[in-house]
Amino acid sequence: MTTATVRRPRKNHLLSLVAITMSAVVFLVPFAFIVLTALKDRQDASRLEFSWPRNVQFVQNLVDVVQARDYMLIIAFINSTILTVCSVTLMVILAAMVAFVLQRRRSRWTPLINFLVLSGLIVPPAVVPTIWVLQGIGLFRTMTGLIFVEVAFGLAFSILLFRAFIATIPRELDEAAIIDGAGPVRLFFRVIFPLLRSVAITVIVVQSVAVFNDFTNPLYFLPGSDNATVQLTLYNFQSQYGTQYNLLFMNILLITIPPLIMFLFFNRRIVAGMTAGAVKG
Amino acid sequence: MSIRPSRRLALAALAAGALVLSACSAGSLGTSDEEGTTTVSYLVDNEASTVKTAEALVSAFNAKNSSIQVKIETRPQGGEGDNIVKTRLATGDMADVFGYNSGSLFQALKPEQNLTPLDDQPYVGDLDPAFKVTVTAGGKLYGAPNGAAMGGGILYNKAVYTKLGLQVPKTWADFMANNAKIKAAGVAPVVQAYQDTWTSQVIVLADYHNVAADQPDFAEKFTANQAKFATTPAALRSFQRLQDVHDAKYLNKDFASAKLEQGLKLLADGKGAHFPMLTFTVATLAANSPDKIDDIGFFALPGDDAAKNGLTVWEPGGLYVPKSTTGAKLDAARQFITFVVSKEGCDIMAGASTPSGPFVVKGCDLPDTVPAAIKDMQPYFDSKATSPALEFLSPVKGPTLEQITVEVGSGIRKAADGAALYDQDVKKQAQQLGLSGW
Repeated sequence: MTTATVRRPRKNHLLSLVAITMSAVVFLVPFAFIVLTALKDRQDASRLEFSWPRNVQFVQNLVDVVQARDYMLIIAFINSTILTVCSVTLMVILAAMVAFVLQRRRSRWTPLINFLVLSGLIVPPAVVPTIWVLQGIGLFRTMTGLIFVEVAFGLAFSILLFRAFIATIPRELDEAAIIDGAGPVRLFFRVIFPLLRSVAITVIVVQSVAVFNDFTNPLYFLPGSDNATVQLTLYNFQSQYGTQYNLLFMNILLITIPPLIMFLFFNRRIVAGMTAGAVKG
Repeated sequence: MSIRPSRRLALAALAAGALVLSACSAGSLGTSDEEGTTTVSYLVDNEASTVKTAEALVSAFNAKNSSIQVKIETRPQGGEGDNIVKTRLATGDMADVFGYNSGSLFQALKPEQNLTPLDDQPYVGDLDPAFKVTVTAGGKLYGAPNGAAMGGGILYNKAVYTKLGLQVPKTWADFMANNAKIKAAGVAPVVQAYQDTWTSQVIVLADYHNVAADQPDFAEKFTANQAKFATTPAALRSFQRLQDVHDAKYLNKDFASAKLEQGLKLLADGKGAHFPMLTFTVATLAANSPDKIDDIGFFALPGDDAAKNGLTVWEPGGLYVPKSTTGAKLDAARQFITFVVSKEGCDIMAGASTPSGPFVVKGCDLPDTVPAAIKDMQPYFDSKATSPALEFLSPVKGPTLEQITVEVGSGIRKAADGAALYDQDVKKQAQQLGLSGW
């Protein structure tokens, strides 16, 4: 394609065509590979070829994956749902509260607190000391403990997002509410929090994906087959001396569905939330 | 945007619900513990055949012992698996019985500090002495064999051999001569699958019997920092062999990007003739190509001297009991291990998945139904022409060997250079272990 053209619209059409084709190749081809491999039998799948299955055995693979290790996948879906919903809810509420206070009430402690929030992003988590702490307070091997761990790891980033957004909300709104007789809690939940919807949705999407896809934290902080999360079920079919690719890819397909649905659902909300936020400014 | 009370209520309900939900523990669809039984957790790695074997053992054991319930947990393999085992031992949260490697990796678990000795158990006398060495630390035995021994050598396609009228090679020169004929017939002589990097080490590691035949005290001197790969001719030859098969263009075309399963498939389909491999993968081969498994044979990695031809053997992993398991659970864990190493246990293991080689317990024989490649190992054991792999004789094994062997095996680095680099790699690990002489 030449860049020096006068008729710009045509060039854009060509460019968009290329862009669409490129993204189709980059995103759809791997997805097609996953689907095709998930349909194959074990012998066929072990070749790892991009080919039509010799015999399609969708149902068989599906049943094998769901039944593997005593219906571990179903338990894992329940666990992952509880984990994601609880930790993201806590993260959104706590991060919004912290960000509101940090943004509105400046004191000599503010720089220190800002530094602590930043260090939450910087300091890497250490596994063994964290387990000692959890054991000390009796939360190790419990879902509650893992939820707190996830909240702790996600909170810093969420606070930063909320803080930046709260800076754009005029103080006059707070003052008007206070004059109308609202207390601090009422001010936050009835006036400020609803205005945060667009950034809240961003945080929800980003953190849900992060928590849902998390592998190492559930592995270390919530051991045991009854406690598995969906990412851990991938290891049912993947190992050093022999990976069952058909079942592995079927499993991947199954656990990709919830984030996909969530994205389709939130996609509309993200756009709606953003425009609403923009108007309110 | 208006603030509707319903939304606020929903939000509050969600927050409250979250806290309530988070108070209960993770869900379980399985059966709950019954009264009066001792529950023993049993941690195994997630290898399909390991899990299948463990499930068969556990269901047989649970059926026999009404007062003990064994429950299986799985963990990943490789570096992630090592981390989880060490983390759980360090935090006192280990399963009551767990399977883990013997040899140098076992030593890295600090057995004296973390594990319960099993010296006093009735089966100890029946174990193969070569295995016992690999699970002994500070004069005490800590592990029982978990499964069968495995061999490292060359899996080959017998159909290709018959078609071309070839003989199983006893020397490296014969092997390369065979390769030349196989290449002329249009078949890839040597299959490699370097995307699974660990597979690249097999030629170097399986050559150890030949090193030991030439230099019987290599392991000892290597541990004491008196012998090096780069300066010991026999050991350097292990790296040289890896380079030779690449330089002679004997590898399959996609050796750099192939995965283990693809390599095994090439071999089974007769598109490749040899695959330097551990016999553990015969079970995968049998599952992925059930119709071709009879075509696959096995021979030890050939050396320079036909008279000294022999097999490098990997001892089975061990079953261990952590110090954190005490009282009734400890007794139950011991009972379970005794069951695993009994004749009955061996038979269950051999039936559940293809054994990777002979068992190391007296009285446990391989069934006649094992694939030909496994049967091919027995003559080496019968004529006592076996050596344990270096990692069972010396605690020193460098962590980046697989990266170095990928480089040497792909022609990026020369053998001598690779051996020298490995000697440096090993130095760091030996210093970490605090061995004398480094």
